[in-house]
Amino acid sequence: MSSASGSNLTKVYDSAAMALAGLEDGSSLFVGGFAGRHEPEALLSAVVDSGVKDLTAICPGGGPAFGRLVEAGLVRKLISPLPFNPREDGPVKRAWESRQLELETQPVGVLAERIRAGGAGLGGVFLPTGAGTRFAEGQEIRVIGGREHIFHPAIRADFALVRASAADTLGNLIYSGTGRNWNPIMAMSARVTVAEVDEIREPGGIDPEVVITPAIFVQRIFQRPS
Amino acid sequence: MPGDRLDPQKMAQRAAQEIRPGEAVAIGTGLAAEISRAVPPGSGAWLLAESGAVGYRPATQSVVVDASGAPAAIVPGGVVVGTVDAAAMLSAGHVGVAFVEAAQVSASGDFVHWTTAESLSLAAPGFSVDMASGARRLVALMTHAHEGGISRIHQECTLPIDGAGCVSLVITDIAVIGVTESGLELLEVAPGWSSDDVAAMTEAPLAVSDSLCEMTFDVPTLQWPNKVYESADAAVADIPDGAVVNVDGFGGPGGMAHYLMVALRDHGAKGLTMISNTAGIAQVARFGAPEGVTPIDHTILVENGQIGHAIATYPVSPSINRPSAFERAFLSGESTLEVSPQGTLAERLRSGGAGVGAFYTPTGVGTLLGEGKELREINGRSYVLEQGILADFCIIRGHKADTLGNMVYKGTSRNFNPVMATAARTTIVEVDEIVEPGELDPEAIVTPGVFVNRIVKRPEGFSPYL
Repeated sequence: MSSASGSNLTKVYDSAAMALAGLEDGSSLFVGGFAGRHEPEALLSAVVDSGVKDLTAICPGGGPAFGRLVEAGLVRKLISPLPFNPREDGPVKRAWESRQLELETQPVGVLAERIRAGGAGLGGVFLPTGAGTRFAEGQEIRVIGGREHIFHPAIRADFALVRASAADTLGNLIYSGTGRNWNPIMAMSARVTVAEVDEIREPGGIDPEVVITPAIFVQRIFQRPS
Repeated sequence: MPGDRLDPQKMAQRAAQEIRPGEAVAIGTGLAAEISRAVPPGSGAWLLAESGAVGYRPATQSVVVDASGAPAAIVPGGVVVGTVDAAAMLSAGHVGVAFVEAAQVSASGDFVHWTTAESLSLAAPGFSVDMASGARRLVALMTHAHEGGISRIHQECTLPIDGAGCVSLVITDIAVIGVTESGLELLEVAPGWSSDDVAAMTEAPLAVSDSLCEMTFDVPTLQWPNKVYESADAAVADIPDGAVVNVDGFGGPGGMAHYLMVALRDHGAKGLTMISNTAGIAQVARFGAPEGVTPIDHTILVENGQIGHAIATYPVSPSINRPSAFERAFLSGESTLEVSPQGTLAERLRSGGAGVGAFYTPTGVGTLLGEGKELREINGRSYVLEQGILADFCIIRGHKADTLGNMVYKGTSRNFNPVMATAARTTIVEVDEIVEPGELDPEAIVTPGVFVNRIVKRPEGFSPYL
């Protein structure tokens, strides 16, 4: 793997575009964030600039930066528990209403466990969530411990675009507040995890007891422009 | 002419009366979001949002947000978790009550979330299906009728439902209605409204409670229940014979609840199923213990004849010449054993604590450990089915806890503790130090207090040796 920084060992990339090398038409990507906050904005902008299309995005918390990706017509399918706020206008809602975007909804905990299962090497999980609703229709159902559970295969993606408050140069990540949200499980479950961070420290600069995402899960790091 | 319709603030105040001391409370979006403003500051319950805020209050500017994305602040004794962990708390039944804004509720307690109703061709549920399936009680907030007067309460919902038979209480802008096995029961009316007024606006049969009263809007400030026990003996006193108990520790003395283990031995409950990594090897492996001392570990429970069955990953001595107490008990037929690979055991505990019934893992395929288990090909790889496990009790060791049970560990003494803590009905923790809520960094807490029921302080200088 080449990098902008010269050494072929470093995970730190100087440009968002370089950090996305390998993202291609038809790729799948996780995008961290919650309720439009804490988006990996620089990485998402670089995806727009790259023009890669037919993306499948698993983005439960998209905001303005993700909206620009949808507006640019680069996302074919979006998987999210609540892809848009029905009480507000926005690019995802417009793209859906004009049939330019395919949407798939899943309960929060189901989508989260599927991503975590992918990151933990599991094939799939049985969850009780949504028994008796449309989310159980046509699904494999088993009674476990006297309760109906629905089978869900694990989900993985080609790329994860996560946002963290700080990384060390090896890729250990910490988050700030609810900026944590979906990022830790997405980082575990992608082939290439790219972290957009506010700050990069030397190894040892983050207390090992408080690291949330171990560097093992992180392939590339990009420092946000301040 | 009936009275005024209640505004969202009043509905939220009435709803907040449903919160019990010490419980985790899932707060949804829309009308439900108002509840965080109705709860008095300092009240003893954790408000939980899918954002990962557990124990929050509204704030003006913060890096913490609630379920709607509105700014919030973590309260002293609150914690930040990932969305997957917030959802897992719900799914495994750790949340006492959840509040959603419903668009429709049926006579049998089915409901339609507002986001489903308002994104109709899509039917997007957000967190509502999770709250409906996971919370021990689900309270629906809604305006009683549409602006044209059409009831939102139906015999059967007319839109795709987000939960079947889940709603236990409906709070509207004119009434409080309970959902019982025989249908809807009018419990309270808003000031100025009669039961006839409410029935006339309700499109489902409505029984009137004998104790029908007017809604009130005072919200009490709840006191946190005390979790701190005087002694380990007191904390384990109700563990019955035959209980399933998670007992922590990796191998060596680090992260082992010596004080609680001794108390459980002295308590004497028999026929226990013990879930642990090793079932006790410290006395034979020594792990650097000085000559002439006997390390305290699971062995003391085995030797006391208390362990009828063990689930463990490494239940053997590293030396064939010096079998562990558990090996001897197993070979003599006194105890039975189920061996689980280490990662599988951790995942089974995590599943039990996250409401995952079962999972497919590649670990153990083609080995003795996979025999007799269901095999499945998924995307070209073979997996075995493993079940989640949930214990009755858990005794583990942390480094520091606050009085609400939020806990941090030290070094690799973390090991199995965080997953074990989630996977028991009653989790008892032993810590070196008990601090006040707010003294632990909410970003650094590893085990949220939501999972912890009892806390004991390990006496200073308590020896890890007998």
